[in-house]
Amino acid sequence: MRSINRFRPLFYVLLSVYALVTFIPFLWALSASFKSLPEIVSGGIHFIPKHFTLDNYQTIFKQEPMFSRWFMNSAFIAISVTVFNLLFNSMAGYALARIRFPGSTLMFYSILAMIMIPGQLTIIPSYLIIKELGWLNSYQAIIVPMAAQATYIFMMRQFFISFPKELEEAAELDGLGRFGLFFKVVLPLAKPALAAQTIFIFMGAWNEFLKPLMLMSDKSMFTLSVGLNTFKGQYISFWNYIMAASIIMTIPALLIYIFFNRFFVQGITFTGTK
Amino acid sequence: MKQRLSTMLVLMLALVMVVSACGNNSKNGESASPSSSASNGASQSPAKEPVEVTLAGWGSSPEEQALLQQVLDEFQAKNPDVKVKYEVIADQYMDVIKTRLIGNEAPDLFYLDAFEAPALIEKDVLEPLDGYVTPEFDIDDFEAPTINAFKSGDGKLYGLPKDTSTLALFYNKKMFADAGITAPPTTWDELMSVSEKLTKKNGKKVEVYGLGQAPELARQMFMIKAFGGQLSDEQGMATFATPEAEKGLSLVIDQHTKANTAGQPSDVGAGWGGEMFGQQKAAMVIEGNWAIPYIQTNFKDVDFGTAEVPTVNGEKGTMAFTVAYVMNKNSKKKEAAWKLLSYLTGKEGMKTWTSKGFALPTRKSVSAELGYDKDALRGALVAGSSYATPWQAGSTLPTIMNNFNNQFVAAYTGGSSLTDALKKGQETANKEIKAAQ
Amino acid sequence: MARLKGKNKIRDLLSGYSFMAPTIIILGCFLLLPIGYAIYLSFHKVNLLGTVSYKFTGTANFERMVDDPRLWIALRNTVKYALIVVPAQTILSLVLASILNMKLRYRNFFRVAFYLPTVTSSAVLVLIFMWIYNSNGLLNYILESFGLPTYNWLGDPSVALLGIMIMNIWSTAPLFMVIYLAALQDIPENLYEAADIDGANGWQKFWRITVPQLKPVTFYVVVMGIIGTFQLFDQSYIFSAGSGGPNNATLTMVLLIYQYAFKSMDMGYASALAFLLAVVIMLITLIQRLIFKEERLN
Repeated sequence: MRSINRFRPLFYVLLSVYALVTFIPFLWALSASFKSLPEIVSGGIHFIPKHFTLDNYQTIFKQEPMFSRWFMNSAFIAISVTVFNLLFNSMAGYALARIRFPGSTLMFYSILAMIMIPGQLTIIPSYLIIKELGWLNSYQAIIVPMAAQATYIFMMRQFFISFPKELEEAAELDGLGRFGLFFKVVLPLAKPALAAQTIFIFMGAWNEFLKPLMLMSDKSMFTLSVGLNTFKGQYISFWNYIMAASIIMTIPALLIYIFFNRFFVQGITFTGTK
Repeated sequence: MKQRLSTMLVLMLALVMVVSACGNNSKNGESASPSSSASNGASQSPAKEPVEVTLAGWGSSPEEQALLQQVLDEFQAKNPDVKVKYEVIADQYMDVIKTRLIGNEAPDLFYLDAFEAPALIEKDVLEPLDGYVTPEFDIDDFEAPTINAFKSGDGKLYGLPKDTSTLALFYNKKMFADAGITAPPTTWDELMSVSEKLTKKNGKKVEVYGLGQAPELARQMFMIKAFGGQLSDEQGMATFATPEAEKGLSLVIDQHTKANTAGQPSDVGAGWGGEMFGQQKAAMVIEGNWAIPYIQTNFKDVDFGTAEVPTVNGEKGTMAFTVAYVMNKNSKKKEAAWKLLSYLTGKEGMKTWTSKGFALPTRKSVSAELGYDKDALRGALVAGSSYATPWQAGSTLPTIMNNFNNQFVAAYTGGSSLTDALKKGQETANKEIKAAQ
Repeated sequence: MARLKGKNKIRDLLSGYSFMAPTIIILGCFLLLPIGYAIYLSFHKVNLLGTVSYKFTGTANFERMVDDPRLWIALRNTVKYALIVVPAQTILSLVLASILNMKLRYRNFFRVAFYLPTVTSSAVLVLIFMWIYNSNGLLNYILESFGLPTYNWLGDPSVALLGIMIMNIWSTAPLFMVIYLAALQDIPENLYEAADIDGANGWQKFWRITVPQLKPVTFYVVVMGIIGTFQLFDQSYIFSAGSGGPNNATLTMVLLIYQYAFKSMDMGYASALAFLLAVVIMLITLIQRLIFKEERLN
């Protein structure tokens, strides 16, 4: 304990340096979003805009009558995807970690294999399937295929593997079935893992670009990520709008992270820092 | 008991999800398909409901988007029987278009860069337009190279160019005056010698390059031709590793690696030539029309002029970039689509679209009417169109370009000799082209 | 007793499959089906655009790999990339998470700051890194002021991949940091209390309790790190404008697959390449599983 305390100033120095490295690009994007394009492309680096302007945000909000619609689309998709994933991934991860049933090993490896196939390959077949279902330009085109994600099933399995077994055994003696056990005992204990999942899945669905780009041709069905990406000409990028758009995109994902961070403090800190 | 209940619960949830998804779909299907019902309606009773034509393009500045909307509004005011649905494809334009073509869900009309045209024409997914063109449309009014870029080998027309740009030499007037240079260079030798004068070094580090370069095939293809080289042959095989081609390209490379009076935008932290020029880190760049409004609005204090690209080996040369509107072969509303297409590329529509100078017209009459051929800045660009090399070379160009750029950059940064780089690029490209056949 | 066991087995079978049901339906329809289609394509010469045609060519697409020099360069780049990035980001994220799990002042500030690279959009990140990496950029400025050699980070083949590596470590470490943070909350407190009684110091506790307890999650982090690095695409695409240059220095497996699938529309060969990639990753994962053999189903 004391040894840690001795190194404490060093910790703070290292932490601050690293925080600087992670913070500066974000700050730069933030400040650029309040600059005009001439100021951004004029070169040089200064964090405080010379001519502070809200024009970029105004253009995005005003010139795009669809902005609120896109925001709602993104929010609806991201929230639905998150809810489905939390349930389905946790169930599957739990089954793969804790229930012994024929085919479970095969399923585990199949899920791993699915993560390993690069997504670029399945773009066209997925597009054709969704088209056959008649789902183009619909919410389910994005929500349903994303409702369970192999990556996070794998993650949940790894979390459940190291769960203390005693709790389950005790609960089983109490006569709880598998489902009762899962919902009443396991899930409440898995809050940190669920919080991590929420952060990632929300962010992933909120930022998802390729799926809506391919599947939504109707402007009213665009998500924010696609709608705010149209400020790029064939030869010229409009960095002022791109920066403002990226800040708008960042905020919800960041808020979710800040909110769910509280689940990473309930447990035990390992050092005896008193 | 309890357990079975929860099993049921979960199964039901899954079921509800699938069903609700399908249910939503039918609802959404209705709202999303006025297009198909509209087209049926149109074929039976044209007066009832306007036909909806979809038009897809890539993103652009808010100003350009507004200008296009203006053209579309004018069209709809004159043609109440056609409604235009404009779709923006935000990124990876060709990937999305190809995917939608494969799924038979592509728009009726869409933008197509000349560079991508041969591959799509070869795949037979575009509608030949010869049958639609009327004498009033005055197809001879188009600059021949711009329209030829969208013709197949057997002369069929598959697209009508909406706008074009060649490359011209942009020069910073103040830097020229400071260096005592009175006129922009007209030959490549002159270009090299003024670059020398214009380059400003601080010790070993170059602060201002005489010339800003873009070491990529799209910008350098005319240099391959300058001494009689060729990018590819009739069969689509790469043929750029010849002494002739190398002679032209070495002018680009040597000025960077040996003379050190030319650099690429990333050498000075700029994103592209226009930015490099605007930031006054290059006294000259070779860019297209898109750079003019960009520099004018973003770098108001930069006083610049344009001139035709200096001659290489006594010959004039530059690149031409053309974009056309093309019609989807599987479109169900070809008649209405043609109406829109002929308006957009007709004299009236093109005049509005090119009126603000974001793009240059492909029709000679429009160009003359807007006075671009005599324009101080755009005159050089217009002049270039008569001798420009179109950015296009058969359906294997994507493979050739990939391998060329990959190796050319290595030579540009001094990683390998130009001879080796070209040889390696050509070999790999041809191997891939052969393997794909 | 035997009957009870049999009953238990059936019970486990039923509950196992009902837990898996939503996953099976969704992944089956939207992932397995497209993958199955891609497997089919890998044995054909395919034309999807225009007149659709499938010509069975047996293993021709796989034989073609042997003679594709760019494939081997891409594979070599990818392996080199993974060998550096995966250990670096795993260690960095574990260290960051362990530190942020302590009771530090301004802990929440640091947690948010460290996470920012993950939420900042990749287009913006690339722009910023272009500015840091260019010959007159920040990185060279710093190197110069320390009297170190400078590089053309974007143009020089020998360092171009390294530039992408640094950027990738920096932007993915926060993701794994969050996973480690979550996993740290699940370590039973009594393990540390017992160690306290034994008089273990913080460092010993970290090595003897924290690291072993995090093994399953580390397995996840490493596997996902390997998958992520083997599937690197965005950064090399943007840095090299899609070509993989200079001189193939930034060519990665997925960039190659993308070039074949979308630029040349050669779906058959692209599919075959994707399966090669999947097999390589799978083999590495299996080897890892032998190393990480901590977990046994009870």
